[in-house]
Amino acid sequence: MNRLDALRGSTPQKPHDARAIAALAANPGCTRRALLDGAGIDKDAAARHLGFPAPFGQSPFAITRGNAFESLVKADGCAELLRMLRELLGLPIAEVAYHDVENVGAHLRHAHTRALFDRAARDGDDAGTVYDHPLLSLRIAGHTAYLEPDVVAFQLGGRFHIVEIKSFAVIDGQADPAAVAAAARQAAVYVLALRRMLAELGHDPLRVAHDVVLVCPENFANRPVATLVDVRRQLGVLERQLTRMTALDRLLDGLPEELTFDLMPGEDGLPTRPAAELADALRRATARYAPDCLSTCDLCFFCRDEARQEGATDLLGRHVRDELGGVGSVGEALGLADGTRAPGEGQEEIARLLRNAERLRRECLA
Amino acid sequence: MSLLTSLARLRALDEGIAQPIATVRHCHLSARPMVFVPLKLSGEAAAPLAAVLGTDRDRPHLLVVTQPRNRDLRFAWAAELAGVLLPYVEGFLSDTETVERRNADPYERALDAPQLLVPNTAGIAFTRLLGRSTRFRRPDGPYPVPETVPLLGRWLTYFGERAAFPGSSLMLAATEELGRHWASGQSGLEDANLAALLGWITEGPADDAEDPLIWPPAGPATDPGFDAEVLAPAIESGSAERITEALRTQLEPTWRLMWQAVDLLAGLPEGASVAQRWEQDRGSFSGMAAQIAEGAPPQARRDGAVAAASRLARMERAQAAYEVQRAYDDPLVMAEYRLTGEAFAGEVVETDPAHAEGEGRSRKLRPLVVVKTDDPVRLAPGTALGTPQRRGQGAELVSAGDGLVTIKITKGMGRGRTPTPGAVPEVGERVCYSSLTDDFQGSATLPEAEATPWTHGGPPSAYVPTDDDAQEEWS
Amino acid sequence: MSDRLDELERRIDGLRAGVRRAMRAKDPATARGLRAELRAAERAWDALVTEDAAPGTAAGTDGAPAAVPGPRTGGRGRPRGGRLVTVREQVHQALTLLGAPAQPRLVAAVSEALLDGALRGAQLTSLRRDEERSFVSSPYGRPYYLCAALTDRLSPARGLLTVSTWPLERRVVGPLSPRVDFLTCAMAVARHLGADPVAALDPRALRLLARMARNIPGATDADLGPPDPDRVAGAAAHELAVHAGRDTRDRAELAGRATSQLDDRARLFGASTLITVARDTVAGDTVTTSGTAGGTATRGRR
Ligand code: SF4
Repeated sequence: MNRLDALRGSTPQKPHDARAIAALAANPGCTRRALLDGAGIDKDAAARHLGFPAPFGQSPFAITRGNAFESLVKADGCAELLRMLRELLGLPIAEVAYHDVENVGAHLRHAHTRALFDRAARDGDDAGTVYDHPLLSLRIAGHTAYLEPDVVAFQLGGRFHIVEIKSFAVIDGQADPAAVAAAARQAAVYVLALRRMLAELGHDPLRVAHDVVLVCPENFANRPVATLVDVRRQLGVLERQLTRMTALDRLLDGLPEELTFDLMPGEDGLPTRPAAELADALRRATARYAPDCLSTCDLCFFCRDEARQEGATDLLGRHVRDELGGVGSVGEALGLADGTRAPGEGQEEIARLLRNAERLRRECLA
Repeated sequence: MSLLTSLARLRALDEGIAQPIATVRHCHLSARPMVFVPLKLSGEAAAPLAAVLGTDRDRPHLLVVTQPRNRDLRFAWAAELAGVLLPYVEGFLSDTETVERRNADPYERALDAPQLLVPNTAGIAFTRLLGRSTRFRRPDGPYPVPETVPLLGRWLTYFGERAAFPGSSLMLAATEELGRHWASGQSGLEDANLAALLGWITEGPADDAEDPLIWPPAGPATDPGFDAEVLAPAIESGSAERITEALRTQLEPTWRLMWQAVDLLAGLPEGASVAQRWEQDRGSFSGMAAQIAEGAPPQARRDGAVAAASRLARMERAQAAYEVQRAYDDPLVMAEYRLTGEAFAGEVVETDPAHAEGEGRSRKLRPLVVVKTDDPVRLAPGTALGTPQRRGQGAELVSAGDGLVTIKITKGMGRGRTPTPGAVPEVGERVCYSSLTDDFQGSATLPEAEATPWTHGGPPSAYVPTDDDAQEEWS
Repeated sequence: MSDRLDELERRIDGLRAGVRRAMRAKDPATARGLRAELRAAERAWDALVTEDAAPGTAAGTDGAPAAVPGPRTGGRGRPRGGRLVTVREQVHQALTLLGAPAQPRLVAAVSEALLDGALRGAQLTSLRRDEERSFVSSPYGRPYYLCAALTDRLSPARGLLTVSTWPLERRVVGPLSPRVDFLTCAMAVARHLGADPVAALDPRALRLLARMARNIPGATDADLGPPDPDRVAGAAAHELAVHAGRDTRDRAELAGRATSQLDDRARLFGASTLITVARDTVAGDTVTTSGTAGGTATRGRR
């Protein structure tokens, strides 16, 4: 059995989706996460079992609103979408053919998508323009993840564009930058998956544009507006991270042979493995906690707790950690500031600064 | 964040309680602030759900959109909000002082101004969006709204924009202000949670603060679990009462936290420059009121290029002035500059008050002062210096080394052959000098460009809202 | 109350089928007797339903809210005078007006804006299945059925409604058909409003037309003023001409296949092949799971 499968044990594999894959790049230095994701372990379930459920949730109102907006954009033969593509990409009037890939059964969807895109790439003109509900795939650390972009548009110019429909508003030309960034990261996953599909089919992968079409409601109405977003940077980060994931073997080398993150689900699917045992196993794989984890990783509360117990300066954020120039623990930093601890090699400068800072604080607060 | 603040965070983490990073309060705190805690409907850009607000901690006004999906009720809610906010804002307009200006007509400045306090920066952003979604409405035409609604929109827009102005106190976010005065033992990201930050400052950290069942989020976003388990069924039931009660449970805890934050800030003595910045706020506020009174159109959707550039320049100047003022007002802030060598403090060990340079008519009085300091001075000879102890004074660094710094005073010691008494520090006095300087006398009596009435050459809002603006769906 | 209505509806359906059977069997006497019974049942249904409907809401015009302009209350489009039009009949009228396969959303909008209807989205979701059930229990028992559009695999197209009495060419959809049908619908709406200037004053109608117009090149001038129905119809026709040739060919080919390959039921409601069955079950495993359970890493999907 392959070692990643052994790590997962009897726990059913959790398929990756685009957001999960996009989030892989969030903390590339973390071995714990790389292994969990590589093995396809449900981090959310693990966190819950450990008693540290992830602080994420989605409001049903947001879900309803998202679905309603997507159906509005796609309504009446994608009338809104065609208008935007005509404005944005200069799509010719004659290009309106619509294919709903979902009209075939789910198990055929991926094959059907492949066939349709192969034909589009080969025949050009006569192919479809709007492909609704396509199903792409991407190999992640030896496993196949299936991905569903909202829409793929194929244009006369012979290029494919990923269309990403999001319901956050663009108000007077401005949108929440964090939301746009997240959309771009997610769209980059689709671009990559589609590029790989074309390459496998023997076409030029660069026919998938690195500009994705982001569709959002404009201002306070529901009226959709489209913008081109360049995702080259996100693509670069993603590819790098995926390459690292294929090198998981090296991460595994340093770990004991019998190590497993198995949740040992019982009949009802609930984990039966003692939580303490699972926690111990997880701690064998080094984490690299940062406050950013709080918005990107299901295990964040578990890892934060660990960082607290260790008194790691990571808790306070990258900024503080960088400023402390590699002094990793709170006790160490305070010892240097108080002068009760002699600076180690290379710590002389930071120790001098900390001592000075301590002197100034005392003086001012006296 | 500076190393000094980082050290305070480490200390906080170690001791389990937040540490002060300021010795005075750097924001103005109104005697009658309007605390405003808005909630929005998840998934929507700016659909209001509810708000609790008021100037009296014992008498909060709870305003609820009892059917959040009904657009008409949103405007009715906005009208209710206007019913509380507008009288508060307008109440400050009657007492004014006349301010004389060089090269311009005198203008009337309010003696005091309104102050909006929201829990966090997301609350400010939401206020701005509320302003944006209401200021172009019209009381007549195809989608009429109560006439107070567009007026409310203009004020909310104004407050929201002013909040981005460095050093302004017209609208403050509690987490930001608390974070400016205390360092918690958690990351800046986690400080955005009002309950958590207050916990660190008062009793020490508690995981409860992150449990939405115990401390509902301070808005404007609601807890997704609350949405799914409580609000959605309440909306489904159609019972206005049930919805109101549900939202009350989400707002009341934050209301209490907000007043706790007010008390904490009030417990700090006010910084010396705060009144001056508040004066600018008062001028700006009066200018805005004048624009409205004179019938100027609502603020544009976007700044024109010229307006945007001049706004940016003003913000940069304000930012620089704010930083200098905070350092001069607060030794703990100045300490950050001492740590980096841009300032130094210590005891005067020697003076030569009668020292002069030049001969005859060009002879100038340049008193010399020698300061003994432990600070690592990194200033070149000739650097211009200022000092918090004598704000009008200018000095120049002569030499520094071996813990002794010699400076000469160049400004603010009188015009006679000898310095005016008290202008030159005495031996034994503790002084602080810094390369940070700001023209404190500067343009304080002039209102900023944005406060200039638009009829007097201030920035005219050339924007004429279209019918489209007034009819834009709020959905 | 609604139990009795249900019962009456079942009876009406049965009687209608009986009348048809009798007619086909050339038995006018029986047909006549049944017709009389049918009338009685329909009257009873009407009476019952009129009591049921709150006055001034969906039922009629007397207490119509002031927001609806006065002239609209003239007897246009649908029967008046306290008679409740059933959901299926409202849908039928809207589809007939549009003349092309349409999504429930558009059907509801047209019904509301042009026919004074009051359809709620939820009422339409189960419609097609109910129609199919009714057809199976008594084939052709009703004068028309609301049924599916057929895809190029002759399976039911998701979310498109059609009328059984339409020619098959109109009820099948090729790759260009969604666009062609949208343009056809836009033309129908524009012509309807062009022919009835009073109706064109209704803000709901204008909103509907404006929404369609903005997605048709040349149908409007930027954002100025309400759209001109004639211009919208012209612009739609203009674009339609670009697609019509190929779409007509595609549809004819599909219709030919449907005629030769499908039985009556499948021709109306689509081939419910293994594929369709498989979709329902398999979707739960792959698609849905990866779409929801995977959503933990970021706070909001959109
Ligand atoms: S939360 Fe833990 S496992 Fe997840 S990325 Fe952060 S440190 Fe790694």
